[in-house]
Amino acid sequence: MHDRDQRLTVTRVSSAGGHVQASQAGRLLNRCGARVESLAEIRLSDRALHRLVLGAVLGAGTALRLWQINALGLNSDEAVYAGQAAALAGDPVLSGMFPIFRAHPLLYQSALALVLRLGVSDLLGRLLGVAVGVATIYVVYRLGDELYGHTVGLLSAWFLALMPYHVVVTRQMLLDGPMTLFATLTLYLLARLSKSRHPAWLYGAGAAMGLTILAKETGIVLLASIYIYLALSPELRTRLRDVALSIACMALIVAPFPLSLLLAGGGSAISGRQYLIWQLFRRPNHDWDFYLTTVPEAIGPLLIAAALLGLWLLRAQNTWRERLLLAWAVVPVAYFQLWPVKGFQYLLPLAPVVAVLGARTLVRWAPQAGVGAAEGRPGWVSAWALAGPVVAVSLLVASWARVEPAPTAVFLAGSGGVAGGREAGVWVRDHVPQGGTLMTIGPSMANILQFYGHHKAYGLSVSPNPLHRNPSYQPIHNPDLQIRNGEIQYVVWDAYSAARSAFFSQKLRTYAQRYHGRVVHTESIDIATPGGEVISRPLIIVYQVRP
Amino acid sequence: MTRPRFELLVCAVVLSTALREAETGSAAQPVEPRTPIRHLVVLMQQNHTFDNYFGTYPGADGTPHETCVPIEPANPHSTECVEPSHLDQYPDLSHSRNTFIHQYNGGRMDGFVSAHEIEGQDGTLALGYYDDRDLPYYWNLADEYVLFDRFFSSAHSGSVDNRMYWVAGVSAGGSDGSSRAYPDRPTIFDRLEEKGIEWKFYVRNFDPSLNYRNVGSAGMLEPQVQWLPLLSMDRFIDDPKLSSRIVDMEEFYEDVRRGTLPAVSYVMALGASEHPPSNLQGGQRVTKSMIQALMQSEAWDASAFLLTYDDWGGWYDHVVPPQIDGSGYGFRVPALLVSPYARRGYVDHTELDFASILRFIEDNWGLRPLARRDARANSIAGAFDFARPPREPRVIPWERFSSMEREEPRRGVIYASYGAAVALAALILAWAAHVAPETDRRSVHPFSGPTGAGGP
Repeated sequence: MHDRDQRLTVTRVSSAGGHVQASQAGRLLNRCGARVESLAEIRLSDRALHRLVLGAVLGAGTALRLWQINALGLNSDEAVYAGQAAALAGDPVLSGMFPIFRAHPLLYQSALALVLRLGVSDLLGRLLGVAVGVATIYVVYRLGDELYGHTVGLLSAWFLALMPYHVVVTRQMLLDGPMTLFATLTLYLLARLSKSRHPAWLYGAGAAMGLTILAKETGIVLLASIYIYLALSPELRTRLRDVALSIACMALIVAPFPLSLLLAGGGSAISGRQYLIWQLFRRPNHDWDFYLTTVPEAIGPLLIAAALLGLWLLRAQNTWRERLLLAWAVVPVAYFQLWPVKGFQYLLPLAPVVAVLGARTLVRWAPQAGVGAAEGRPGWVSAWALAGPVVAVSLLVASWARVEPAPTAVFLAGSGGVAGGREAGVWVRDHVPQGGTLMTIGPSMANILQFYGHHKAYGLSVSPNPLHRNPSYQPIHNPDLQIRNGEIQYVVWDAYSAARSAFFSQKLRTYAQRYHGRVVHTESIDIATPGGEVISRPLIIVYQVRP
Repeated sequence: MTRPRFELLVCAVVLSTALREAETGSAAQPVEPRTPIRHLVVLMQQNHTFDNYFGTYPGADGTPHETCVPIEPANPHSTECVEPSHLDQYPDLSHSRNTFIHQYNGGRMDGFVSAHEIEGQDGTLALGYYDDRDLPYYWNLADEYVLFDRFFSSAHSGSVDNRMYWVAGVSAGGSDGSSRAYPDRPTIFDRLEEKGIEWKFYVRNFDPSLNYRNVGSAGMLEPQVQWLPLLSMDRFIDDPKLSSRIVDMEEFYEDVRRGTLPAVSYVMALGASEHPPSNLQGGQRVTKSMIQALMQSEAWDASAFLLTYDDWGGWYDHVVPPQIDGSGYGFRVPALLVSPYARRGYVDHTELDFASILRFIEDNWGLRPLARRDARANSIAGAFDFARPPREPRVIPWERFSSMEREEPRRGVIYASYGAAVALAALILAWAAHVAPETDRRSVHPFSGPTGAGGP
């Protein structure tokens, strides 16, 4: 049985003990007093233990997210957000390379900009990401606690703290971390609403949803989750007026996104509209099975299995809680599966849901299965006993493998830092004359080199057709002419982009050969061949070119 | 051996040893320049005047607004005149000594149109000019480094005389360039050789087999020979040591890369010399490429790059050239100095000519003057500011700088709006926590079964 239930039961018994005849009142009072005192001690130690465990969970989550956090430099998306924040902070060099208004709302970038006013740094941005990640672990604890009690709360937090998906994303400067934090907060407030039916929680959920969208506009998808949940829960009897007020709260919070685009000037409104149009019509960037092949492994197959198993095995006990969690998970999965643009981190709001459902299964099913409960131990002890050695360890091992810096020549966007990118950028900053311009295979490496190298870089693969390119990127209309005019002095090849586009890789090498390309810098990694021999493989090659 | 003979022999041996040591010592001892400039690169292009290139450049002594050159200067009753106009073509105008004399017209400077009309050309073209639309890179260089607006061609004639002044400080003596174009006179390279100072003459598309001894099929010298004085001088053809210093321009890039750029480099960009009717882009490209190579090298911190033009090309220039002797000056030519020590965005009004380049080399490396012209010439040294540390290299863009400032977004609006959103959200959440009963969460059994939302 759940620990809090135990306490409640004991308390009821104790209270019942008070309803005795008056003659026995004094004696009973003494006995009750002693009982209450000892209960208070138990409660105190229970609470202290819970706090201790929660502290350990948060500490472990923090440690895992901080471990070797800056061993690899920023990836392209991180470089863009850091560049935007630096531009917002008024950095004179990066302002000229990273437009403030680029694609997404600026909630996270604004917060980051306040930090970067102290000095532009890749580490500071990532630390902010870690803080957001740890905050999410805490909110997940509260969510699990709210839905299923302390034990599930703790176990959910523990799972999220160790989950490779969440660990990897919140070690980075990405918008999906803050979006997931606010989405989980919304979920928590909906749970409060469902339990209390007090409309204040609906308004609060509206405000939290506003922050979710303000962190990343794709969070708007979760509105459908809320709608589905409310539609399938007539027992909530939510009044239309309260829904309207909640939407108004959300709209007020989201308003800075369009308002700042309209009022901030600097061509922001145009770039915002262009980006929206491009997002709506851009071509698929991954195969249909992208999420199937990347996300389950990152969340943890055992945890997913536990979550699904619980939904099935405990289906007789399913309530609005499971309905809420399922609505929260199904909508983004369906939406992003159908949406042609896919990204590793897009399904992150799913992570807290899976963590809670997985914890629920283990806590509820384990006592039923007789583990721990039979021996008279509290339910959470048995749950930890089962979860610890199996699910948690599987998550920890997978996370550890991902946080240990192991440079590879293959890179999945959103999955971590890019080996050699920072080092190449620093070389560019130190060796390329001011005003020097680079051409890379694609815009990803261009972003990284711009952030670290403080020099303008253009991606060769950026289409001159405005319908086929991110409006934030400038294409090279005639690379030959620009090299002949001396407008491009460096050509940068990288293994990551080459793996994605052999065509542009070859084309870039052709330019290097045609224009007296001379290798001036190389970033390499040592890799072991199947025969055990260690060879150096170039990751990034900088050529100096001239007409 | 008698004692006096022995003493004589000893003296001879000591003397010869001392001389040899002195000789080798002087050769081994690198000549330290007197300024931080250890590498001077001079690129001489062709056939434009200052007004033709920079006549509308702000802050320089450009074409006066009221300029209108008479079509018939000899006719006092004619009031027809031609005003300067922007050109969209590259006409090759006559630029012989006679053309100069007509255009100069005893210092009245009114024959620029008629001189070409006499030769059957459209004289109005002489008043044509280019600006930053056509010369964005050069104008950008002028913005960042030094533009000379008193740099005269040394001779009031064409390329040959002026190029002779460039290398030797004297005229070619009226050669028409059809045979042995240049007289065999001491050049600045001979002076550098004497001191053991490294030099090279870089020639774009250089053909080592061509010199004044090979006359082309039309009985004319090849351009390479016609415009490179050293290829008319036997010692620079026959002495392997000297001839090895005349090389293709590709070696410039290699020398820059290897750190073997000599102290003095003269450059001739054949095929991209901006000589009409070729366009201006090729010359700008070569210049940009060379300057960028310098900037990307270790040599940058101790280098100076001078760009100038060998003669006026028949174009209009409004400044009366001082006549310092029987040969010159000719009309002004464009000249730019790029160096980490060059003054920033500076227009230098010092009176200069090609001998001023020689003068700087002689002063910097302690060489004897070659002739009266270079001995008396002003140096280009005034364009440098050696009191300041060298400037960091900065790639000068090909596109002209935009005069319009990039519109910056109002950052305050962004901070304020997003800050207000976060504050409002916090207020709503705090209010919700305050008004909603805290006990609600205690009121329901977490595993209360499928009784619906809200619980008991």
